[in-house]
Amino acid sequence: MKIVLENLTKIFPSRNKKSNDEVIAVNNFNFEIPDGKLIGLLGPSGCGKSTTLYMISGLQKPTGGKIYFGEDDVTELSTENRGIGLVFQNYALYPHMTVKQNILFPLQNLKGADKMTKEAMLERAYEVAKLVQIETLMDRKPSELSGGQQQRVAIARALVKMPRVLLLDEPLSNLDARLRLQTREEIRRIQKETGITTIFVTHDQEEAMSISDMIVVMKLGVMQQIGAPQDVYDSPANLFVAKFLGTPPINVFEGRVQGGKLFIGDAAVMDVNSVEDQDVHVGIRPEGFIVDENGPLVCNVSNVEVMGRDVSVVSTHENSENPIIRSIINADERMNVAAETVRYTLKPHKVFLFSKETEERIYF
Amino acid sequence: MSENTTKIMQARDMKKKGTTQKVGKVFGLIGVYAFLLIMAIIVLFPFYWMLISSLKSLAEYRLSPPTFIPRAFLFSNYIDAFTTANLGRLFLNTMYVGVVSTLLSLVITIFTAFAFARLEFKGKELLFAALLATMMIPGELFTITNFSTVISFGWLNTYTVLIVPFLVSIFYIYLLRQNFLQIPNELYLAAKVDGTSDFKYLWKVMVPLSLPTLISITILKMMGAWNSYIWPRLVANDEAHRMITNGLRNAFTTTSGDVNYPVQMAAVALVSAPLFLVFVFLRKYIMSGVSRSGIKG
Amino acid sequence: MVDNRQQWKAWLYLAPAIVLLLIFTVWPIINTVVMSFMEGYSGLLKAGGQASFSIGVNNFARVIGQPTFQQSLKNTILLCVLTVPISTVLALLIAVALNSIKVFQKGLQTVFFLPYVTNSIAIGMVFAAMFNIIGNIGTRREVISSYGVINDLIRFISGNPNPKNYINWINNGSDYWANMFVMVVYIVWNALPFKILVLLGGLQSINKQYYDAAKVDSTPRWRVLTRITVPLLSPMLAYVVITGFIGGFKEYTSIVGIFGENMGPAHAPGRMNTMVGLIYDSLEQNKQGEASAAALILFGIILVVTMINLWVSKKKTHY
Repeated sequence: MKIVLENLTKIFPSRNKKSNDEVIAVNNFNFEIPDGKLIGLLGPSGCGKSTTLYMISGLQKPTGGKIYFGEDDVTELSTENRGIGLVFQNYALYPHMTVKQNILFPLQNLKGADKMTKEAMLERAYEVAKLVQIETLMDRKPSELSGGQQQRVAIARALVKMPRVLLLDEPLSNLDARLRLQTREEIRRIQKETGITTIFVTHDQEEAMSISDMIVVMKLGVMQQIGAPQDVYDSPANLFVAKFLGTPPINVFEGRVQGGKLFIGDAAVMDVNSVEDQDVHVGIRPEGFIVDENGPLVCNVSNVEVMGRDVSVVSTHENSENPIIRSIINADERMNVAAETVRYTLKPHKVFLFSKETEERIYF
Repeated sequence: MSENTTKIMQARDMKKKGTTQKVGKVFGLIGVYAFLLIMAIIVLFPFYWMLISSLKSLAEYRLSPPTFIPRAFLFSNYIDAFTTANLGRLFLNTMYVGVVSTLLSLVITIFTAFAFARLEFKGKELLFAALLATMMIPGELFTITNFSTVISFGWLNTYTVLIVPFLVSIFYIYLLRQNFLQIPNELYLAAKVDGTSDFKYLWKVMVPLSLPTLISITILKMMGAWNSYIWPRLVANDEAHRMITNGLRNAFTTTSGDVNYPVQMAAVALVSAPLFLVFVFLRKYIMSGVSRSGIKG
Repeated sequence: MVDNRQQWKAWLYLAPAIVLLLIFTVWPIINTVVMSFMEGYSGLLKAGGQASFSIGVNNFARVIGQPTFQQSLKNTILLCVLTVPISTVLALLIAVALNSIKVFQKGLQTVFFLPYVTNSIAIGMVFAAMFNIIGNIGTRREVISSYGVINDLIRFISGNPNPKNYINWINNGSDYWANMFVMVVYIVWNALPFKILVLLGGLQSINKQYYDAAKVDSTPRWRVLTRITVPLLSPMLAYVVITGFIGGFKEYTSIVGIFGENMGPAHAPGRMNTMVGLIYDSLEQNKQGEASAAALILFGIILVVTMINLWVSKKKTHY
C-alpha cells in the first residue's frame, strides 16, 4: 500500500487565547511513500515528525491537505477504519492483560466478514508471536517483561491484524544501547518478512540511516529532503541535512568562491569552476580528507586518535565554524603523529558548498 | 507468512465505513449528553422541588397534579419557618460550635501532623500506624463510652460536650502530614542552619505552604458541625445548645401524612443555603478534600 | 540516635492530641469491650450502687436474640447490597460520560457533586415530601388531596391518569418494599457525588495512550469500557465499593431524614431501623452492655465485609 501525503498541514492553535502565535507543526508536506518499504521520518524534536505520523494514523486531524492510502482518500476516515498498526513510544500495552490477551485484543474487535474463530485468532497470535520471538512469554503481564520484550509485544499487537500500514513512534527510544542495535535489525527483518509498508519516527539519524529504505528529513515542520539514506548522505540538499546526518558530524568551514576556486581562509583548496563568486559554507565529511604533505588546507593538530583500522585526527582551523575539525583517515596513510600541523587535500565528492544566505546547496 | 499477509491485506477494503462513521459519532455524542442531562435533572430535582415548594401556599402545594412554577411567590413561608424552628438561635449555636471546634481542631491537627512529619521520636511509625488503625472502628463504638464519660464530667447540655470529644481527627492529621511530607526537607534544614526554631518554621513555612489542605480541613470540619445530628441529640438537646440539624428535625417531627410542607421546605432551604454558598465559593477545596476521604463531614 | 531534647519536644507537640485520644478513643475501645462482656451492664444500675456485674456473653446473646436486631441487620444488609452496586454502576457510567465530553464538563461535574454538600436529614425531608401522600390514607373514608409529585410523575409517564394508579411509598399502611425503595433511591442519590468524584479522578489519570491504542485496534465503545476502562479503573472501583459498604453498614441519619425518629411508617415504627439505630436505642435505654455488644457486632461485620472486599478486589484488580 503506497501512501501519498498531499499539501499536508497541521497548525496547533496557541494555548494563550489572546496571542495569535499558533504553531505550524507540519507545513505543506508532499511526498509519496512507495508500497512495501520501510521509511524513517527523521528530525530533531519539534520538527513535526510525530505529528505527521499521528496524522497518518488518524489520531490527529490535519488542518489542511490530503492523505491517501493507495488510491483511497483516508483524510476524513477515523483511526478505527484505517486498518493501521501503531506502536507507541511507550508501547501502551494494556497492563491488566497478559501478552497473549494483548495480542488477541485487536483480533477480537474484528467485525462482520473479518470476524475470526477463537482457534484462528489463537493461531494467528502465535504466528505473530513467533515472528517477533516472544512465543514463550505469552502468559506474562507487561510489567514482567523487559523493555525490549515489551517493544516486541507492541509490534506483535500492531501486526496481528495484518495492517495495511505499520507506524512506529520512536520505537527504540526506551531501549538501552545494545538492545537498540538488536531491535532495529529485528524491525528491519520483520518488515522485510511481512512486506507491510512501515513508517517510523526517530530523532536518531544513525538509526534511520541503518534500516530505512527511504528517509524523510524534517526541520521545524518543513520537509528538507527525501531519498534513500545513502543518497541523502552523499548529496544533502542543504546545510541542515548535511549537519544532521553522519557520525562523526560533517565539518563546516567559512569559505568563499573566487574565480572558480574555493578558498578557506587564504588557501585555495579546490577548483569549483561552475560556481559564481560568493561567500559559502563549506561542508567536508570526515572521510573527505587526504593527508598530503603538499595539501592546501593546513590545520593545527590537537589530538590523534588511533582506532585500529582508522585514524581520527582532531584539529583546529581559524575558519572552522565548529570548535574542532575531525577527519577520519585510513591507518595505512603515513601520518606524522607528533607533528603540530597537518596538511590536507580534499576529495571533491565529499565536499559540499552551501549558500551563505539560504544555506541551500550549491552544486558544482 | 508474508504471502499470506499481503493477500489478506489486499482483500481488505476499509473504504466503505467512511461515510457512516461520522453519523455514528454524532449520535454517540448526543446519547452521552442526553444521558448526562437526564441524570442531572434527576439529581437536581429534589433541590428544585424544595425551592418551589417553599414558595407555594399550602393550598397550592396540595394541588394534584402539582404546579411546577408557583403561582405566587410566598416568601412569608421563610419567616414562618424561621420563627417556628427558632432557626436564629440554632444558627448561632451551630456557628459557635463550628468555629470554635474548627479553630481548636486546626491547632491540634497542625501540631500533631508536624510531629509526625518532621520530628524524630521513639515509636513514631508504630504510633502513627495505631492511629490509622482506629479509623476502621465505627464511631458508634466510641459514642457509647463517651456518653458516660461526658456525663461523669458534668458536661451534659454544654457547648464543651459538642466541641471537645471531636477535636482530634486522625483523618485530618493524616491529610496534613502527607502535605507536610511533600515540603522538601532541604527547607527545614536550611531553616535550622539559619537558627530558626521548629515552632517558627512550622508557622512561617509549613502552614502557609499547606494552606489548601488547611482550607479543605476547615470546610469539612464546618460541614461536619452543620450536619452533626446523632451526638448532639444524645448530649445537648436543650433549647440553649441545640444544633441546627436537631432543631430542624425537632421542629418538624413528621415527614409523612398531613404536613405543612411549604414552611418545612423553607426551613430545609434555609438550613441548606449556607452549605451551598460555601460550596459555590470553595468548590475546589471541598472536592479535593473529599476525593481523599470517603467520609462525610 | 535521636537526642533527648527533640524527643521531649516531639511529645510536647503531640500532647494535646494524645490526651484527647486517650480519653475519647483509647478508653472507649477498652471500656466498650469490657462493658460488652459484663452481664446486663447499665450506667443506671452502676450509679445506683451495683458495683460488680458477672462476666459472660449474654449481652451478645440478648442482642442477637432480639427480633429488632434481626430486622435491623436485614435492613442494613439489604440497603448495602442494593445501594452499593446501583450507585457504583451509575457513578461509573456518569463518570465515563463526563470524561468523554468537553463542552459543559465542568458545569455538569459541579451539578453531580451538589448532593454531597447537603444535610442528609434536611434533604431526606425533601425526599419524604416528594413521596408523601397528603390525606387520610389508610382510613376507612379516604380523602386524598395530593398523591405526591413522584406518584404524579409516574402517572404522567405511564399515561394512566386513573387516581387509583398510585403507590403508597411511606405513609400509614405502606409496604416494606415501598419503604425500602424510597430509602434506596435516597441513599443512591446521596452516594453518587463522592463516587463520581473519585471515579472521574481515576479516569482522568488513565494514560490517554491506551485509548489511542484501542482506537487503532478499532475497539467498539462498549468493549473499551469493559475491557480497558473498568480494569484500569479497578483500584478506584474497589476503593469506592469498600467505602460504600462501610458507609452502608453505618446508615442511620438518611432514614431519620425520611421517616423521622420513628424509623418507619406510622403503622410500623422501627421497621426501617438499622444497626446503628439499634445501638442508639440501647444506649438511650441505658443498656450500655447491650449497646457495646451491638457495636462490637457491627464492627465485626464491617471488618469481615471489608476483608472480603479487599480479598475479592485483590483478585480482581489487575495491577
